[in-house]
Amino acid sequence: MSEGLPPVLEEGGDRTVAGVRDGLGAASGAGGTGGLDRRRFIRWLLGFSIVSSLAMIVTPIIGFLIPSRTATAGVGGRVLAGTLESLPVGSGAVVAVGAKPAVVVNTSGGVKAYSAICTHLGCIVAWDAALTMIVCPCHDGRFSPATGAVVSGPPPAPLPPLTAVVEGSDIYIVTG
Amino acid sequence: MTTDVGRSEAPGGAVGWVETRLHLGPFLNALLHVPIPRNAKTFYLGGITLFLFGIQVVTGTLLALYYSPTPDAAYESVLSITSDVSFGWLIRSVHHWAANLMILFLALHVLRIFVQAAYKYPRELTWLVGGGLLLITIGFGFTGYLLPWDQRAYWATVVGTEIAGGVPVIGPALLLLLRGGAEVSEATLGRFFGIHVLVLPLLLAGLLGLHLLFVHQQGLANPKYPEPRPGRPAPARPPERLKPFFPDYILDEVIAWYAVLAALVILASLFPAGLEPKADPLVTPEHIKPEWYFLAVYQLLKVVPETVGVVAPVALVLVIVVLPLFDRGEEVLPRRRPIAIACAVLLLVALAVLTFYGAQV
Repeated sequence: MSEGLPPVLEEGGDRTVAGVRDGLGAASGAGGTGGLDRRRFIRWLLGFSIVSSLAMIVTPIIGFLIPSRTATAGVGGRVLAGTLESLPVGSGAVVAVGAKPAVVVNTSGGVKAYSAICTHLGCIVAWDAALTMIVCPCHDGRFSPATGAVVSGPPPAPLPPLTAVVEGSDIYIVTG
Repeated sequence: MTTDVGRSEAPGGAVGWVETRLHLGPFLNALLHVPIPRNAKTFYLGGITLFLFGIQVVTGTLLALYYSPTPDAAYESVLSITSDVSFGWLIRSVHHWAANLMILFLALHVLRIFVQAAYKYPRELTWLVGGGLLLITIGFGFTGYLLPWDQRAYWATVVGTEIAGGVPVIGPALLLLLRGGAEVSEATLGRFFGIHVLVLPLLLAGLLGLHLLFVHQQGLANPKYPEPRPGRPAPARPPERLKPFFPDYILDEVIAWYAVLAALVILASLFPAGLEPKADPLVTPEHIKPEWYFLAVYQLLKVVPETVGVVAPVALVLVIVVLPLFDRGEEVLPRRRPIAIACAVLLLVALAVLTFYGAQV
């Protein structure tokens, strides 16, 4: 080891470290391509130091910027959405379930509930009594109250269904 | 492989692409390739302070993304940064420790400049601007302290603004201006937040630019020999031995920065920034104390009348800032400036004693 190191530390030009590779062992890493330029080796070392330093600093910063799970998680549970008296057959309403809106519709096939976030660009849909359809005010996307399927307009997918439960005359939406 | 000559005239790749368009080479050369006295001993204190300011800018910007500056939400947002957000405790603790270290290294930097008489001709303006930087940094500490809105933050600010209110003549107006009302309240928090994240950073960046420009124009002071003055015979001295600023000095500086970064992470990990109970304007906790750098003033106020305790530190800072105006001797060696050095030692001892007693419960 002590025999191999001094030549690397000497002042000089682009001498290769091939002559001291035996002493440095794997440090050169040049394989069999005819020797590693000392200047390039130092540059590689400098680049490695800079990249690893940046990685060390940037990792906690990126981790910090990603919102925590508790901030993004929805709230689970049962939410009272209305009563059969306030929501007779053929009517619908948008209610808040935690921080997210849901649309509840009393159809001839029973009470249905869907996410009220339009699958097109995220506007909040509304119940249109005249059309008897769920309608998005942004681009006139229309959804079937019975299945949540797209009837017309640009939405690419049906409204995600939610679980609606009727107990007595109370309508609950169950999530989570 | 290109020759060295070819490489230096027309660098290839991205560097060459930019260089052929902006011709930054001569500018960067003028910026970096300055000779400095071989015997200059800066102990890298100013550079470390600059590095710590950079850390404060980065961590402070990150914290501001989650912080809410209202009494209802401030405490909870800091609590959430500390316990919910990934690496939140680390970012906040590094911000806390870098603030303390910044004041410490700034004080050491001022002391180094004083002992080496680097504030004398031709560097009076650099010293003056440095005084402004010192005041702004203390302002950062004072305004940032309130932001977590816990008991310690709240009551330290009540006491601190009360002290400012003790300044003769302008005191009451200053108190009202600082608090944005009669009490430390929502208005105070809004003001301190705005000052901490907008006003002071802009002021500091501006003055810092000036400070660095001056240092660059004048070069580093030689701690052994006074600068030759116009109109006076140059004192006999051996020819100045120089060394390059880049890469010699910069490399040492970067190594010092790495050491400080390591120290910061260790301090933040072993002694993370804590949080006391939420601020309660109706209950003053026992043994309320300001940060260590305000302890001397805090203790002084216990032993002298309020007016004296408030005016003395302000006067002292002013005297220090205008020091080059009346200390006009040419000597730079400490042993040839016994009065100046004796004053400094006396001041340091007084500060140490006051801080020590201020720290006792």
